[in-house]
Amino acid sequence: MEPDVSIETSSMIRIAVLPIGSVPPSLLRDYHSMLLRHHTIPLSAISSFYTEHQKSPFAHQPWESGSLRFKFVLGGAPPSPWEDFQSNRKILAVIGICHCPSSPDLDSVIEQFNVACKGYNSALVKRCFAFSPSDSHLEEGGKKGENFILFPPADRQTQEFHLQTMMQDIAASLLMEFEKWVLQAESAGTILKTPLDSQASLSSEEVIKAKKRRLARAQKTIGDYCLLAGSPVDANAHYSTALELARLTADYFWYAGALEGSVCALLVDRMGQKDAVLEEEVKYRYNSVILHYRKSFIQDNAQRVSPLSFELEATLKLARFLCRRELAKDVVELLTSAADGAKSLIDASDRLILYVEIARLFGTLGYQRKAAFFSRQVAQLYLQQENRSAAICAMQVLAMTTKAYRVQSRASITKHSLSNEIGLGHSDGGKMHHQSVVSVFESQWSTLQMVVLREILLSAVRAGDPLAAWSAAARLLRSYYPLITPAGQNGLASALTNSSERLPSGTRCADPALPFVRLYSFPLHPSQMDIVKRTPGREDWWAGSAPSGPFIYTPFSKGEPNDTSKQELIWVVGEPVQVLVELANPCGFNLRVDSIYLSAHSGNFDAFPISVDLPPNSSKVITLSGIPTVAGLVTIPGCTVHCFGVITEHLFRDVDNLLLGAAQGLVLSDPFRCCGSAKLKNVSVPNISVVPPLPVLVSHVVGGDGAIILYEGEIRDVWLSLANAGTVPVEQAHISLSGKNQDSVISIAYETLKSALPLKPGAEVTIPVTLKAWRLGSVDPETAAGKNASGSTGRHLRDGSSPSLLIHYAGPVTNSGDQSDVPPGRRLVVPLQVCVLQGLSFVKGRLLSMEIPAHVGQNLPAPAPVKTNSHKGSIDYENKMDKLMKIDPFRGSWGLRFLELELSNPTDVVFEISVSVKLETSSTEDSQDAAEYGYPKTRIDRDYSARVLIPLEHFKLPILDGSFFIKDLQSDRSTTGRNSSFSEKNTKAELNASIKNLISRIKVRWQSGRNSSGELNIKDAIQAALQTSVMDVLLPDPLTFGFRLVRNYSEQATKVKSTVLAHEMTPMEVLVRNNTKEMIKMSLSITCRDVAGENCTEGTKATVLWSGALNEITMEVPPLQESKHCFSLYFLIPGEYTLVAAAVIDDANNILRARAKTDSPDEPIFCRGPPFHTESLRNFTRQVKIPFLS
Amino acid sequence: MATTACFIIVSRNEIPIYEAEVGSAAKREDAAQLHQFILHAALDIVQDLAWTTSAMFLKAIDRFNDLVVSVYVTAGHTRFMLLHDSRNDDGIKSFFQEVHELYIKILLNPLYLPGSRITSSHFDTKVRALARKYL
Repeated sequence: MEPDVSIETSSMIRIAVLPIGSVPPSLLRDYHSMLLRHHTIPLSAISSFYTEHQKSPFAHQPWESGSLRFKFVLGGAPPSPWEDFQSNRKILAVIGICHCPSSPDLDSVIEQFNVACKGYNSALVKRCFAFSPSDSHLEEGGKKGENFILFPPADRQTQEFHLQTMMQDIAASLLMEFEKWVLQAESAGTILKTPLDSQASLSSEEVIKAKKRRLARAQKTIGDYCLLAGSPVDANAHYSTALELARLTADYFWYAGALEGSVCALLVDRMGQKDAVLEEEVKYRYNSVILHYRKSFIQDNAQRVSPLSFELEATLKLARFLCRRELAKDVVELLTSAADGAKSLIDASDRLILYVEIARLFGTLGYQRKAAFFSRQVAQLYLQQENRSAAICAMQVLAMTTKAYRVQSRASITKHSLSNEIGLGHSDGGKMHHQSVVSVFESQWSTLQMVVLREILLSAVRAGDPLAAWSAAARLLRSYYPLITPAGQNGLASALTNSSERLPSGTRCADPALPFVRLYSFPLHPSQMDIVKRTPGREDWWAGSAPSGPFIYTPFSKGEPNDTSKQELIWVVGEPVQVLVELANPCGFNLRVDSIYLSAHSGNFDAFPISVDLPPNSSKVITLSGIPTVAGLVTIPGCTVHCFGVITEHLFRDVDNLLLGAAQGLVLSDPFRCCGSAKLKNVSVPNISVVPPLPVLVSHVVGGDGAIILYEGEIRDVWLSLANAGTVPVEQAHISLSGKNQDSVISIAYETLKSALPLKPGAEVTIPVTLKAWRLGSVDPETAAGKNASGSTGRHLRDGSSPSLLIHYAGPVTNSGDQSDVPPGRRLVVPLQVCVLQGLSFVKGRLLSMEIPAHVGQNLPAPAPVKTNSHKGSIDYENKMDKLMKIDPFRGSWGLRFLELELSNPTDVVFEISVSVKLETSSTEDSQDAAEYGYPKTRIDRDYSARVLIPLEHFKLPILDGSFFIKDLQSDRSTTGRNSSFSEKNTKAELNASIKNLISRIKVRWQSGRNSSGELNIKDAIQAALQTSVMDVLLPDPLTFGFRLVRNYSEQATKVKSTVLAHEMTPMEVLVRNNTKEMIKMSLSITCRDVAGENCTEGTKATVLWSGALNEITMEVPPLQESKHCFSLYFLIPGEYTLVAAAVIDDANNILRARAKTDSPDEPIFCRGPPFHTESLRNFTRQVKIPFLS
Repeated sequence: MATTACFIIVSRNEIPIYEAEVGSAAKREDAAQLHQFILHAALDIVQDLAWTTSAMFLKAIDRFNDLVVSVYVTAGHTRFMLLHDSRNDDGIKSFFQEVHELYIKILLNPLYLPGSRITSSHFDTKVRALARKYL
């Protein structure tokens, strides 16, 4: 069988084109292609070369319209045994091609040509074309004979013209030879045989039969020559005769041949014009041809020769003729029946040709899958031949099938369609429509694809094409790893490695192998380097920029015209950027990625390669970094990977599609999922634009960037150092606060920053920030409780609670002309990592009182002027025993009030508490330092609590007024005037003011360690503590009592102050002061006791040694006045005595009752003074009872 | 029962969504592959033929050597393709019709995405039973 046959093949003159001497292959191809242009020579063009020697047998030669057709067989072909049957199979001419510079010896060339021509007995014309001869060649060339033609060096056009002339000459010579042959054949008659004719035993019967058949065969052959000579009418006449004769002699084979020829003549006659009638005719005749070829099948020599190949060729010829989309059904039927014949073909190469032709025809028909199927059959036939060239053929044939099986190498896909696809992916924004997803995976027939790839791999290995082998193995491994056993995966891995060993290093392959690479995320700028769009011409240029909060959608940006569907990313020239990608190795071997880096097609990005090891079935998120080099746009379609010795590009889009397909159930497996990686949202590649360099501020807290640990209430200065790490000066900067607890930043030194501008590259500025720790607890008690329960010491480091400094800064505005193109500014977020620890905690506060009896002296202790409402002291300091003790001017005894604060220390450090009270006098003369009195420090160890006593100075109101009780009494008395309520308000306000005043003077400072100190905020606590006992503390008793010695004579007495001698009459007086605004009547009683024991005044258990009493002294004291009552004491026994005055108030009013907190109105109001101390010295030894004298 | 038979359902996106070797012949891998190649190639013919007739059963439309391809095209253009070496049109037609019913049941499953692989073992069992019955 012959390849590339068609009905018109019968009319083609076969010419062998032989290279003579050594011809460089590229030149040979070139010369051949020049020849190919002259495959058809019109008869009209050769008339000048044609001379009619005798009458031409081609009577109806169409000199105007006809032509001779050539079929050039490069390298020649061995003579076919069937050339008698079909004359077009004969090599009728030989053209030698010689390249003179390669073989300069023309004689030897001619010799070689003659030798070469000996193999072609059938050749009627022989020519040797010598190209590019030198001058010497041209000189001697003329003598070499007619058949040797030199083509002088000239431009291509001239050379082609020369060649055309030569071809026309050859055509004319051939035509003349054909005429000669036909005339000879008609007269002499030749014996024409085919291998089909039995040669073994020629019985007499056979000989007679052969004689009869001879005529028909001769007619058929003459017809063939007529066809070759371009005279279809003559040919048809001869064929008709031949058909008649062949039918008579039942020579079916030749009958079919003649019929075939007649169809060819018909077509040549019509010169390519096709119509339905012609088609029907051809179809009908060719069906008959096929039928007769089948009839000619002879069983006895079927083993040796068979007309089957002619039948199949005829089928293919018809199929080729009909090969149109509309007639697909007929063609398919023909080709299917042709394919059936393959089994019966004896010769393997015939089968090969058959399949090739079937595949080609199916391909022409548009049946790509059918074509691929037969191409694969061809490849399998090639692979059965165990040699390299066959393997190369197999590989190439298989490469053609890859499109139909959708396993084509990326290299074979045209650049155009690829870029189209990329564009599509971009405009889609990563969200593909379902239909297009499906179309990506259309025709994914994994079983077939794997087989095809495996065959390509096998053939490539056999053909010694390492790159093709690598590519096939890569495709196989990447796409079908779930279907390959671990052993198979290992095999493929080693195939990849073996192939790469035979490749030069740095080889690139269009088909990626492993690993799978997908985009994990594009980290936005770290908050330290955030880029903010600058609104030109505004002081707060950052204000109008894109929302920088945690929300993707803000209602405020809705109205903006810019399309926010696509993420925008800004990179800065010279600043390293990072992109996170996830790699997956779903295979069962350890994968070593020699280097992986981002591939940027825009050429303005320097990527840094890294190498990764991926264990079997694992995935890994890695950070790839790079530096943008030039301002502009950057596109990052994927990564460049150097793995298995070959450099490949892995596009993110492919993996995205793959994952999408996996999600739809269209692909076998998701490589990331099967590696245990979590499902990830589809990350789209943002539009990245690179801007020229910007300043970079870097901040650090002086003294360490760790969290600033503060105890509650602590105030501390923090020094923030800002340095410009960029290459552009900072010209604008502004600090603002954000986050929670903004009020904890007390002050920021804006001025320091402002004065440092412009901040040159490398320059640094330090700005102080004053912080005050906020209070814990109120933030969220639940977590605090939970933390305490879990055994923590109550530390609170909550990220959200610290304030941040936002520093917006920008470089210079470069081009002032174009306002729209202002380089963006930046935002530096400096989170002040304040860790507030729970410090001392306040447990409770209460007021304590304590009384120390005063000595009865000559003077009453410190009578205070009544007018002064405030507590400005007119206290005689000299009288004080201790600074701590202050005398209540109205009680006459040492009445001490202490504010007791209970503090606990739940932390693990030691605190020292110092209490200071600002003295009242401070307001006028004294300086602050002197005025503050600090008490000794109290140390509170960890996990302990301590009580701190704060002495409160005299702290009384001078007058017991009804207004305090109005509120209480209102329930009883409904008649309360307005004026009283006014005064009530007044007094209350005064009271509150005095409490506040007092509180504000108390400061509790703490210190822990060397450098943390602060103040406890316990104002509220003190207030609460005071409020409960304010009545007792503030309000004066209605009556106050005082004792005084009355001396008017003795010097002794002046010497011994406030001492009393026993056995002497001691005149004393008791002063009773009415602190109310009404007259009080009372009955006074005075008791004097000598008591051993602590509690000398109260209780019955006291051990009274001596006592005396003065009862029922009736007194009346006018409001806000004092009354005296004189009496004398006579001490019989020296010792320490205590004098106590007490009074029962008669006709007490409501105010007094309220003050005394009586329950019923009948209850007597008892008023007792503080105890006074007196000492009677012994000057006599007699014991006397103390008489009381009135 | 046919000695060789290979049944495949091809989705409208040209993806095989179900494949089964239902022949009684001993199973060989390369033979199974060849079967699929033949069926894949036959899709070209089905593609043209399906629009020429209103019948779902297209009968034997292609052959390679002694293996015949019979095809049944559903209304949704899902193709049931059977490669067989026996001539039993009636049985094949019944087989296809019953498989069609099974396939519709699969389609009715709300969790089944049309066009994706049929992984139901129940379907597989039923198809094999039908193959034993009709082929």
